[in-house]
Amino acid sequence: MEILLLNILNGLSWGMLLFLIAVGLTTVFGVLGVLNFAHGSLFMLGAYLCMQTMQLFDSFWLGLLIGPLCAVFVGLLIEKFLLKRVYGRDVSFQLLLTFAVLLILDDAVRVIWGSGYHVVEPPAILNGIISVAGQDYPVYRLFLVLIGPLIGGLLWAFFHYTKWGKIIRAASFDNIMAEGVGINVPLIYTSVFALGTWLAALGGALAAPQQSLIPSMGEKIIIESFIVVVVGGMGSFPGAFVGALMLGLLESFGTVFAGRMQMAIPYILLAVILLVKPTGLFRKGV
Amino acid sequence: MTDVLRIENLGHSYGKFKVIEDISLSISKGEMSALIGPNGAGKTTFYNAISGHFPPTRGKVFLNGENITGFAAHRVVDKGMCRSFQITNIFAALTVLENVISPLIIQQRKHFKIYGNVFKDKQIIERAMLVLEQIGIADRADQVVANLAYGDKRLVEMAIVLARDPSVVLLDEPTAGMNPEETENMIKLIKKLANNSGTTFFITEHDMKVVFSLAEKIYVLHQGHLLAQGSPGEIRSNEHVKEAYLGRKVHA
Amino acid sequence: MMKLLRHKLFGPTVLAVLLFFAPLIISTYSVMILSEILIMGLMAISFNLLLGYTGLLSFGQGAFFGLGAYCAALMLQAGYQNLFLILLVGMLASLLASLVVGFFSVRLDEIFFAMITLGFGMLFFSIAHNWLDVTGGSDGLPVFVLPSLSLLGNEITFYEPTRMYYLVFGIVLLGLVLLWLIVHSPFGLILKAMRENKQRVSFVGGNVRLLRIVAFAISGAFTGLAGVLFCLFNSMATPEFMHWSFSAKPVIMSIIGGTGVFLGPLFGAGIFFVLEQIIIQYTENWMLFLGIVLVPIVLFFPQGVFGTLRNKIFKQGVK
Repeated sequence: MEILLLNILNGLSWGMLLFLIAVGLTTVFGVLGVLNFAHGSLFMLGAYLCMQTMQLFDSFWLGLLIGPLCAVFVGLLIEKFLLKRVYGRDVSFQLLLTFAVLLILDDAVRVIWGSGYHVVEPPAILNGIISVAGQDYPVYRLFLVLIGPLIGGLLWAFFHYTKWGKIIRAASFDNIMAEGVGINVPLIYTSVFALGTWLAALGGALAAPQQSLIPSMGEKIIIESFIVVVVGGMGSFPGAFVGALMLGLLESFGTVFAGRMQMAIPYILLAVILLVKPTGLFRKGV
Repeated sequence: MTDVLRIENLGHSYGKFKVIEDISLSISKGEMSALIGPNGAGKTTFYNAISGHFPPTRGKVFLNGENITGFAAHRVVDKGMCRSFQITNIFAALTVLENVISPLIIQQRKHFKIYGNVFKDKQIIERAMLVLEQIGIADRADQVVANLAYGDKRLVEMAIVLARDPSVVLLDEPTAGMNPEETENMIKLIKKLANNSGTTFFITEHDMKVVFSLAEKIYVLHQGHLLAQGSPGEIRSNEHVKEAYLGRKVHA
Repeated sequence: MMKLLRHKLFGPTVLAVLLFFAPLIISTYSVMILSEILIMGLMAISFNLLLGYTGLLSFGQGAFFGLGAYCAALMLQAGYQNLFLILLVGMLASLLASLVVGFFSVRLDEIFFAMITLGFGMLFFSIAHNWLDVTGGSDGLPVFVLPSLSLLGNEITFYEPTRMYYLVFGIVLLGLVLLWLIVHSPFGLILKAMRENKQRVSFVGGNVRLLRIVAFAISGAFTGLAGVLFCLFNSMATPEFMHWSFSAKPVIMSIIGGTGVFLGPLFGAGIFFVLEQIIIQYTENWMLFLGIVLVPIVLFFPQGVFGTLRNKIFKQGVK
């Protein structure tokens, strides 16, 4: 029983991180039509920049605030100078361009911060162990379990109750041609990419105290975020949420029932969902 | 049975919304027929449902006496019915000749043949050139289709459709987007093809001039139902049709 | 003379002759690099049968490459020495696997197809990585004894790099000739037609799903052949072959070289490895520079480096 609860908590905390990455990825895809291979690298960049800010100001919270904003600056450069040129072009070109960005970012981080591990301490208030149903559990993971829905709720409110959010939703989820209603489309694209970058980098900053920082940390998470996005339905906000929780929980329980083969779980999930519902769980047939 | 195409109680719904309902008609061999109706009457849905784009929700489709209801598109073609689309549907980066060769390869069951040069296949090339000559674009055989003028692209689609020598040809707005001269030529071409070959044409059109200069029999679709059918003369004088087209104003 | 130059087989023939005599001129190390280029070129051209000709972006080709490699390694470990048997079994295993993956994947398009093939590829990777008893896990399977070939009573071995090169050269040449025939066959024309407009193909009577499965299987089989060769060349089969980052290689090579030309991906492979050799002399961060080189290629060479140059020289349009 305790094991069950711990697995659920582990699954949820991992799922919430996946959700933050995936929701940015899916929104960028929904609006810009580009599946960003470098999204995981922006996650990684967020973690490193958070670490760097922490070292400067000695505050995790400042790192959480400033780190992702610095990453957004990098994201803006990427959108303005690279991505802008491949909108509407063949999928293979878009994937390859963002893959090139991935290679550049990963190696650049390796050059700047070295290829070894870095560790970020959680802030004092979240550092430590708490007793959950008689078992010891890190406080920081509980914090992740709570912060995920909080950010998700704020995003949901943003998409449903603000003008900008509604415009983005119109341009993405409802497939309305935004240009027809007199909206500045390039500005929307840029801001959506900035939002996506910020979410990825925020995810990275939040993940920093929980996992060791290495330049390749983005490569693992990008594949899993792809799976979340495709499983949930590309461009779907609720899809990203449900997909991330499904994958997080499945992977957590996979360690119990699948042993070594738990590595295959995300891909089996992907294959099964695409076979049953080719457009993903939350996207209507084209 | 002389009906090449017979449709019984055909209907299609999206969820609860019935786009077309209870359409029955039969077309005899060589008879030039047209399906008309205001925008949103369900013409394209009707075409899609009988040509294998998606299976109809209700009703049956018979081609040359054989029940082909719900067949996938490629099987409908194999049974002898081929269609054009409102938006030109061709192989843009291929040459005109390659565009016509492709259906012929499939017709001769050579599409899984992974060796041999198709351009040295006399049977196919001769047939392809014959079709291009019929349509009148044989002189452009080696040009890449993407570089052709709009009207010529429509002709290429016509050639693709006719290449397989179908018994029924469905033309979805064959003159859509054409200028008056191109339209005139297309009408002449369809007339010529209908006279020379054993092919039965069934067209949809919103341009009434085209319809009345081509069709021997006209079916009028209105809000998903077959409102009227008959010769051009009968349709012209039909009160219901006038109402449907000019309608609401007269009523109000 | 000009007519000869313009003949479509002129370039490939010259290239084949150059490759045949290359080991006489270049160093042993370069001969090994050239072997690798040829093997990856075969993989990239097989991949391009899907991307360039059929219009399908597969991100899981590594699975079939790895499968071919593992077949070869397992057979050699079990004592099977017949070269042709190994090549055949490797190809057949990849053919069967790609039939299964293709059956499930080809009804999807574009990015969805890329993602499901990526998923299947990683599924194979997970299995290779974790099925320790058979695959040796992350260490992979080493090969100690290479197959030999009996020719006119002589036993020819391939331990010497130049001999390995000629083995690779011969098999790759054979593979490319077969692929060239396929691309120019009636089936090949229908593939291009599907790339242009798959709806039109089904509306002239083609079973698009079946056609795509066959294309996927052919591509998989030749990718498996490349995998067998790489296992012999490398004396090793590792799960890394099946990882998505390995599957990205033929994508990169094809786009560098150009997807619209048959030999484009082979040139892409050449550019890729030569670039790597140059860059690693100066820096450890080869990936950084690969990324920096890829960006302008993607942005400014829509038909790839080779494709764009060829069109400039011969003023030809792409077909």
